[in-house]
Amino acid sequence: MTDIIDRRLIVGMEVHVELATEAKMFALGPNVAHPSRFDSAPNTICDPVSVALPGALPTMNHDALEMAMLVGTALNCEIADRCQWDRKNYFYPDLPKGYQISQYEHPICGRGELTFDGPDGAVTVRITRAHLEEDTGKSGHELPGGEVIDGSIVDYNRSGSPLLEIVTEPDITSAADAVAFGRELRSICRALGVTEGIMQKGHMRFEPNINLVLTLGDGREVRTPIVEIKNLNSFRAVEQAIAHEVTRQEAQWLDDGLEMGPGAKSTRGWDEKAQRTVLQRSKEDAHDYRYFPEPDLVPLEVDQAWKDKIAARLPELPRARRARWVDVLGLTAKDAAALAEEPPTADFFEACAAAMEAQGMSASDAAIAAAKLLLNAGTRLANERTCAVEALGITADQIAGIALMRAAGDLGSTAADEVFEVLCDSEESAAAAAERLNLLQVSDASALNAWIDEALAAHPQAGEDFAAGKDAAMGRIMGHVMKASGGSADAGMVRARLIERLR
Amino acid sequence: MSLPTTALDIAEAVQTGSASARTIIDAAISRIEAHDAAITAFEDVRADQARAMADAVDARIASGDTNLPLAGVPVAVKDCIAVAGEPMTCGSRILEGYVCPFSATAIERLVNAGAVLLGRTRCDEFAMGSSTEHCVSGPVSNPWATDRVPGGSSGGSAAAVAAGFVPVALGTDTGGSIRQPAALCGITGFKPSQGRVPRWGQVSFAPSMDQIGPFTRTAADAAAVMQVISGHDERDATSAADALGMIDLDGDLSGLRIGITKEHRSDDNHPAVNAAVDAAADTCRDLGATIVDVSLKATDLGIACYYVIGPAEASSNLARFDGVRYGRRAAGSSDLAEMYERSRTEGFGPEARRRIVLGTWVLSAGYYDAYYNRALKVRRLISNEYTAQFANVDLLLGPTTPAPAFRKGAISDPVSMYLCDRYTVTANIAGLCGCSIPFGMAQDDDDTLPVGVQLLGPVLGDATVLRAAHVLQSASTHHLAQPVMA
Repeated sequence: MTDIIDRRLIVGMEVHVELATEAKMFALGPNVAHPSRFDSAPNTICDPVSVALPGALPTMNHDALEMAMLVGTALNCEIADRCQWDRKNYFYPDLPKGYQISQYEHPICGRGELTFDGPDGAVTVRITRAHLEEDTGKSGHELPGGEVIDGSIVDYNRSGSPLLEIVTEPDITSAADAVAFGRELRSICRALGVTEGIMQKGHMRFEPNINLVLTLGDGREVRTPIVEIKNLNSFRAVEQAIAHEVTRQEAQWLDDGLEMGPGAKSTRGWDEKAQRTVLQRSKEDAHDYRYFPEPDLVPLEVDQAWKDKIAARLPELPRARRARWVDVLGLTAKDAAALAEEPPTADFFEACAAAMEAQGMSASDAAIAAAKLLLNAGTRLANERTCAVEALGITADQIAGIALMRAAGDLGSTAADEVFEVLCDSEESAAAAAERLNLLQVSDASALNAWIDEALAAHPQAGEDFAAGKDAAMGRIMGHVMKASGGSADAGMVRARLIERLR
Repeated sequence: MSLPTTALDIAEAVQTGSASARTIIDAAISRIEAHDAAITAFEDVRADQARAMADAVDARIASGDTNLPLAGVPVAVKDCIAVAGEPMTCGSRILEGYVCPFSATAIERLVNAGAVLLGRTRCDEFAMGSSTEHCVSGPVSNPWATDRVPGGSSGGSAAAVAAGFVPVALGTDTGGSIRQPAALCGITGFKPSQGRVPRWGQVSFAPSMDQIGPFTRTAADAAAVMQVISGHDERDATSAADALGMIDLDGDLSGLRIGITKEHRSDDNHPAVNAAVDAAADTCRDLGATIVDVSLKATDLGIACYYVIGPAEASSNLARFDGVRYGRRAAGSSDLAEMYERSRTEGFGPEARRRIVLGTWVLSAGYYDAYYNRALKVRRLISNEYTAQFANVDLLLGPTTPAPAFRKGAISDPVSMYLCDRYTVTANIAGLCGCSIPFGMAQDDDDTLPVGVQLLGPVLGDATVLRAAHVLQSASTHHLAQPVMA
C-alpha cells in the first residue's frame, strides 16, 4: 500500500429548519416550533391530522410555503413554477400516518447559492435544492426526567411541524467552513423571521455528508465512501464530528481500502460523550420509501406575481448588512459581527444610529458611537440582567442623547455608563438624568484647579513623580479628582492642566 | 295514516307539521327491529340518540327554523364515515374500540340540514370488496333474496334503503361501491364527480378515486342529498371549488345526446342486463334524447389500471393502522417489528392484506415504472378517451354490472370478484360522476332480482346526470319495485 501524501475534505450539508409558523405544515393545529408553543407539555398540541386519525386529511399551510420561498429567494434559488407533494412511506411509531409528506421530484426551491465568510475568506456554496416536508414526533426510551421505563414513548407535539430541508452541493472543504456556513444560514433564517434558530430546541439540525480525497504516494487519488452524520444540533458538534470523520475515514481506508461508490454510503450518529461517530445504517439495509404523488393534495402553481411579492419582502441580508456597516459606516468587522448576530439587536443598533443622525451627527460618527455604547455599557448590562440589549428598557432616543452629550464633552465615559444604566429604568432624557445625578462634566477652570489642589495635597509623592516624568503617577491624582468631583470632572481637561502645572 | 317514504316527502311532512321527525324515526326503528335480523344491514342502530336528534329537529321546526331541507329524514351511514362520538370500524378488526372525535363534513352538513342519523351500516373491510362478505362482523343479505349478496363495498347502506329501513344512506364509491350495490339492491345510487363531496372524515381507501355519495329510492332524493353534502370544504384540498348549484329536475331529455358504449354491450352480460340498457335507451329516445353509439376502447384496461392505483394508494393509507395510537394492538409482542407484524396480520382481513401487499409491490423500487407509472399512463388514456367522448355526447348510458346479485360465497376467486366492477371503475379512474338506477328485473333460478343501468356524466356534470336519472324515473316505474320482506 502506498503512503497517503495529501488529503482533501469534501462536505455537503443537509440542513433541517423548523419553520416557526403558527399552524402545522398540513393542519390547523398549533406548531410546537412557534415561540408561543415552545413549552407545551408532551402530547398536548395534537390535532386529528397530525396524529393521523382515520378520516383526517392534510391541507397545505400557505405561511410555511411562503417562508420556504423567502429562504429560497435569500439563497438565490430558482423558485419552482409548479411543485408537487409526495408520500415517503416507512413505518415508525413517531410517524403517525406511516408516511411523511415531502417534495421528492419537484421541490419549491431549486438551484441557488450562499456566500459566507469563513476563517480563510469568502466561500460560496452551491445550493442543490430546498424542499418542504413535515416533521415527525419524538420517540423516547426513558421518561423526560431520565427514569427507566419498559418500552418506548412518543410525543406527537412535533408531528407535522413544517420543516424546510436545504441541501448543498459538496462545496465545503473544512470543518470550520461548515460551521461558518451553518452560522450564516442560521443568521439568514433568523433575519427572515422563519425561525428563532434555537439550536438546543432543535430548530435547526445539520446533517453533513463527508468524505475525503486521498492523494497517494504514486500520485493516484482515491475517494473514501460518503458518510452522512445525522441530526447534529450544535455548531460544536458539527465541527467535532467532521474533524473526527477526517481521522476516522483515513484510518478506515488504510484498514479496508473501500472507496466511494454505489452501496458504499453509510449513516452515522455523533456520540458527544465519546467524541466519535457511530454507525447507524449501511446502504444495504436502506429503506425503499416507495415515493408516489400525494393524492390528498393538489400540485401547486407558483406564478411570477407571487414570486415577486415574496422577493419584495426580502430584507437586507445579514452579510450585506455587516458589509455596509464596515464599508460605509466604518465599524470594525468584529463589532459589525457582534451587532449583527441577533437580528433585533441589529435593528436596535440602526435605530440608535438613526436617532443620532437625526440630531446632526454624521452617519459614520453616529454608527461608531452607537456601536460603542451598545457593545460596552449595553452588553455589560444585558449580561447582568440576562436579556437582550434592545430589551433593557433604554430607548434609541435616550442612547442618542448620551452619545450627543459625549460628543459635546458634557459627559465623561464613566458618567455615560452610569447614565446608560439609569435610563434602563427611567423615561427621562439623558441630559435630565445627567443633571439630576450631577454627572454633567465640569470643565470650569477654577473648579478643576480646586480638585487638583486637593489631590496634590493628598498625594504629594505622586505629584513629584509625575513632575519627574512618570506618566503612571497621574492615575492616582486623576482617581482622587474623579472621586472628589463625583465623576463629573472632564478627564481631558484635568490631564492638560496637570501637564501645564507640573511639567 | 301511512307515513311518507321518500326523503323529499318526509322533509315536507316534517316541515309542514303533518308528521313529526320523532314519528318518522320511531317507525324506522320499528321496521329495523322487525326485519334487520334477516338482513344485518346495520352494524349498530343508535335508537336513543336518533330519537333525541329527531326531537331536536322537531324543536327547531317549532321555533321557526325553515332552513332544514332534510328535516326528519332518517339516514344510515356506511361504517367508514366518521360521526363524532360514535365508534367506526370500517368493517375491520383493527379499529376495534375506536371512537371518532370528529364528524365528516358530509355528516355535519346532513345534521345541519335536519337529517337524523340512525346508525352505521356494514361494509367490506376498508371499502374493499364487491359483496360485503369481507366485513369482520359478518355479511349483509340482499333484501330481494337473502341468500344473495347486496353488492359492495357499501352493501349495508344499499340493503338498508332497499329494505325500506331508511330513505337515505351514505356510501362511498372508489370503484363502484355505491353504483354496484345500488344496482344489485334495486335502488338509486349516485357517485359524485371527484371533489364534489368533501372527503374530510371519510376513511381513505384510494383518495384519488374515493367519493361519498347517497343511496336513495329516487334520483330526486339523491339530488336533494347532493344539494346538502356537496360543496367546497377547506379541510379537503381536493374538494371542488365550484358549487353544484341548484339542480333543476324538471323537463324532458330533448337536446341531450346520450352515448351507448358498444364495448359494454357484451354477450357475457346477463341477458336481462342488456335488455335493461335497451329499455333505458328506448325511454331516453322517447323523452327526446338522441341516442348514439360510441366506442371506448381503453375502458377494457380499467380493471387492470384500477387494481394497480387503488392498492398503491391503499397500501399507504392503511399504514396508519399500526396498533400504536388507537385501535387494536396485538398483545405480548417482544419488539416493535413483531408488534407491527402481529397487529396488522391479526387486524386486517385477507382482502385488505392482499391489497396492501399488492400496493406495496407496485410502488417498490424496480417495479414502480412497470406497474404504478404505467397505470398512471393508462389512467390518462382513459381520461382522455372520456374527455373526447364527452365533447360529442352529454351522457353515457350502459350497464352498471354484468349480472344481478350473486349468491353469497359464489365468487371466491379475487379476480372474478374484481371483474364485477368492470363497468364502474373507469368513472373513478377518470373522476366522472355516475348514477345507477333500477331499470328492469332479471330471473335467476327462482329469484326475481333487480337490474341497474348506469348514467355517466363528465367531471362536474353531476346536475345533468341527476336530472336525466330523474326524468327517466318520472317516465317509468322500475324504481318503485320493492322486495317483499319476510
